[in-house]
Amino acid sequence: MSADRTPSPNQRRPRQGSSSARQPDTRQKKPRRGARSQHTGMNSQLRAWGRHHRAMALDSVQRLMRRPLGSLMTMLAIGIALILPCALWLTLDSARLLDAGLEESASLTVYLDTTMEESEAMQMASSLREHPGVAAARLVTAAEGMVEFEQALGLEDALMRLGTNPLPASIVVAPLDTSPQAVHELSERLAEVPRVDEVRLDLAWLERLRRLAELGQRLTLALGVLFGFGVLLIVGNTIRLSVENRRQEIEVVTLIGATHAFVRRPFLYSGAWYGLGGGLLAWLLLGVGGQWLSAPVQALAQSYGAHFTVPGLDWQGSAALLVSSILLGWLGGWVAVNRHLKEIRPR
Amino acid sequence: MIRFEHVGKRYGGRFDALANIDFRIRRGEMAFLTGHSGAGKSSLLRLLMRLERPTRGRILVAGHDIDRLHTSQIPFYRRQIGVVFQDHQLLFDRNVFANVALPLQIQGLEPHEAARRVRAALDKVGLLHRERALPIELSGGEQQRIGIARAVVNKPALLLADEPTGNLDPQLSADIMRLFEDFNRIGTTIMIASHDLALIARLHHRVLKLSEGRLIGDDATVEETS
Repeated sequence: MSADRTPSPNQRRPRQGSSSARQPDTRQKKPRRGARSQHTGMNSQLRAWGRHHRAMALDSVQRLMRRPLGSLMTMLAIGIALILPCALWLTLDSARLLDAGLEESASLTVYLDTTMEESEAMQMASSLREHPGVAAARLVTAAEGMVEFEQALGLEDALMRLGTNPLPASIVVAPLDTSPQAVHELSERLAEVPRVDEVRLDLAWLERLRRLAELGQRLTLALGVLFGFGVLLIVGNTIRLSVENRRQEIEVVTLIGATHAFVRRPFLYSGAWYGLGGGLLAWLLLGVGGQWLSAPVQALAQSYGAHFTVPGLDWQGSAALLVSSILLGWLGGWVAVNRHLKEIRPR
Repeated sequence: MIRFEHVGKRYGGRFDALANIDFRIRRGEMAFLTGHSGAGKSSLLRLLMRLERPTRGRILVAGHDIDRLHTSQIPFYRRQIGVVFQDHQLLFDRNVFANVALPLQIQGLEPHEAARRVRAALDKVGLLHRERALPIELSGGEQQRIGIARAVVNKPALLLADEPTGNLDPQLSADIMRLFEDFNRIGTTIMIASHDLALIARLHHRVLKLSEGRLIGDDATVEETS
């Protein structure tokens, strides 16, 4: 193309008016530049690319700030959409911590033969400590068991009247492996130890709790996906409006040779800014909400004799929240612009 | 520079906007495209800008079949063509300078080099003193001149204009045409769609006449003899 183009300026040059004296050399180069971009050089192209990115990042911020209330509304909508799955995830996360605590307390109670002497029981306890799969074993003598029982039931007088202690000594065994399956197997093995009367384990409620936690996890995931989609829609809709508003500009720049990437860029930045704003608002609201809830939650936990603090986002969680909200915003912008780039055909 | 080989454009499977268009415009030539509205002038320009593809025939620009361009190449093809619109299509949210700089920004020119060329283009259309103005503050004739400055700022080899004087009075129209002639004098190939027959007649350039999608006249005699 360039080869058959070069002669023309040379032919024309004698006819040039004085007003165009500055033009001949560039005229000769120019037509090639557009078609063959390597003429511009990789380096300067890269610089131009960076320049446009900076310009568009700035330009899109300025556009957001030109209508602060509208932008804030959009960001708030994104923030609110992000809060719910985040809060649920945090709750679940702290529930998992509780769950871990419960697993430690998943213990077996080994009831010994009532005829067993205390010294024999102590021997038994130490032999159980050597048993494979046992992390710890604590002896509760018949007398101790009696005291616990009385305290728990408030039946001091009634039991006193019995005269003799009807309770057996027991050994509380903490299993090494706390998974339900392992605990169950351990209990069966312990039941076969001579002079063991009965082994009790109450894992059903633990199992139920675990199922609940799993349900909660799935719920969080589903909500996360759903609300993430919501953020996409919010950003997409907002960007769609600004694409509509800048339709003429898009048509014009497309006609004068803008690539799709060039057209898309400002909108992608707007989307990312919306995402960032929404993420920051969500982060802020989560923090404030956590503070607001912390006093009653702690009081409630204390009334159950437990120690529980309202979970907050650590820096990793905060970073994850912001990054994902920015990505969602960017993606929303991408979807909206691409849909409309196809629709917008100049004139 | 431009070559149409039996080009046809049919819309909706029935309506022939253009039929069997066959002509050739040489490098450095200036030609008018006339005809009633609906005769196919705009369709022809749209084909040239690669906004649409011909249903039949071939269009060669600078020796290349533009129908064969890959989608990703189209922007780069368009950068070689300057386009002037009837309604100038300036962007009203930015000043004159930014409007004219737009093609250079798209091409990624260094800002100082771009500024130099923008001023040169504005100087050429006689509006250098208005570079800070907003398009809305300009008269219709001035707006059109800014539109032309934007079309020529990256020194395209080919300049297309669609009714560039459609909204202007005769005096301004003549000024605009003189501007086109200036650009033609320095080697730019120019094709102008216009129905201002009186004006065209005075200018003694080649005239391609369209009627109902057919080329019914190609008065190339003036150009041939000059």
